[in-house]
Amino acid sequence: MDATEVTAVLTRARQGDSEAFRTLVERHSRRAFQLAYRITGNEQDAEDVVQESFIRAYRQLGRFEARAHFGTWLHRIVANCSVDLIRSRRARYDHTSTDALDAADQPETDSPNPERLAASAQIQQTVAAAMTSLSPLERAAFTLRHYEGRSIAEIGKTLGLGTSATKHSVFRAVKKLRAALEPLRGES
Amino acid sequence: MSKHYSEDDLILYYYEERPRGGDIQAHLDRCDQCATAYRNLSATLRLVETPAAPERGDQYGLEVWQRIRHQLPEQELSWWSAWFRADRLALAGAFVVMVLAAFVTGLWWASGAKSAPTAGIAPKTSAKASGDDGRQRILLTTVADHLDRSERVLTDIMNTPAGHDISLEQEWAEDLVSASRLYRQDAADAGEHSVALVLDDLERSLLEIVHSPSKATAANLDQLRRRIDAASLLFKVRVLGDELRQRERQDVSRPRALSTHTS
Repeated sequence: MDATEVTAVLTRARQGDSEAFRTLVERHSRRAFQLAYRITGNEQDAEDVVQESFIRAYRQLGRFEARAHFGTWLHRIVANCSVDLIRSRRARYDHTSTDALDAADQPETDSPNPERLAASAQIQQTVAAAMTSLSPLERAAFTLRHYEGRSIAEIGKTLGLGTSATKHSVFRAVKKLRAALEPLRGES
Repeated sequence: MSKHYSEDDLILYYYEERPRGGDIQAHLDRCDQCATAYRNLSATLRLVETPAAPERGDQYGLEVWQRIRHQLPEQELSWWSAWFRADRLALAGAFVVMVLAAFVTGLWWASGAKSAPTAGIAPKTSAKASGDDGRQRILLTTVADHLDRSERVLTDIMNTPAGHDISLEQEWAEDLVSASRLYRQDAADAGEHSVALVLDDLERSLLEIVHSPSKATAANLDQLRRRIDAASLLFKVRVLGDELRQRERQDVSRPRALSTHTS
């Protein structure tokens, strides 16, 4: 789909054309799921976030600036929906994220070095457990910085935080992860 | 030897939020202590690999669409699409007829009277009203966003367990306090007294959050919560936020209407 077609689809979607919105959903769902999964660390929660994000996006399409990039705008909505969902299910996240742990426990068949894999799995398991100890904002800020490579300024804009609060979210997340991972560093 | 860099500085440097090859790099080249700290930090952060999200097939977008298609809410229309809806056009037509009728009546009336000394004031008043509308619309949007952000901080505080470090919420609250003060003054100047009152309550609670110990005890949190509850602050913030969004939508769908909201 070229730029002209994207603009045309967006214009139709903003006029309430649900078929045009369907095109946007089909085009951006996988990327939205990926981001939601990285922030929530849970497959079902990520699914819920994707759905809620598109519903919010549809409701607010009238406010979307046609010149802006829909993907960037949706990215912001997904990040904030993820934060909201983690907040609302915080009690559930007191337990470790079983999806991440399950994934780490899966043996990979194509590796020639099982010892190294076991160490790697242990590290990722520890990372997953440490991630659940972060506050929703720390978790989102760290995900956007470390996994998504977003700048502090972009993260602040996405999460509606000032520069100082954004930096401190990242600092605190890194410190908590370091505390959990330092003991493993010698073994890796 | 110049000062050592803090862990926070090194984290920013690792994430390239500070220029590579600048002062920090020169310092790391000659300071073993900071170089070791940076090596340890980098080695630990390199262990944190991007988690592989479960695969989603090519049909995933379609599956999402199928799940949400019947839940799609009514769109919050932009002012121009709202304006061009058929029912609005009918209303606009009726409005034009009324204005024309008033104009003709006015001409007929004026022909029998002396020239009005206030002729020429109306256009200026109209331009001023239009400018005020614009400012008021911006005020509505910014205050509504501000209330959303404040609601998050308040909700966090209401749900924080005792002994939990609330310094992040405090920093966030501090950012909001200064903004709140400005919006409160703007709201008072614009005659939005009920908005100014809620912002005043909000500012007090935010300040109290800012000045609480960052490792809040159960007693500290209880005090904060009682204040928030006593003022029904969360409720007011939510209701006012919704109301402002609604007014914002009404205003953009009636761009030429004179905005004389009273709260």
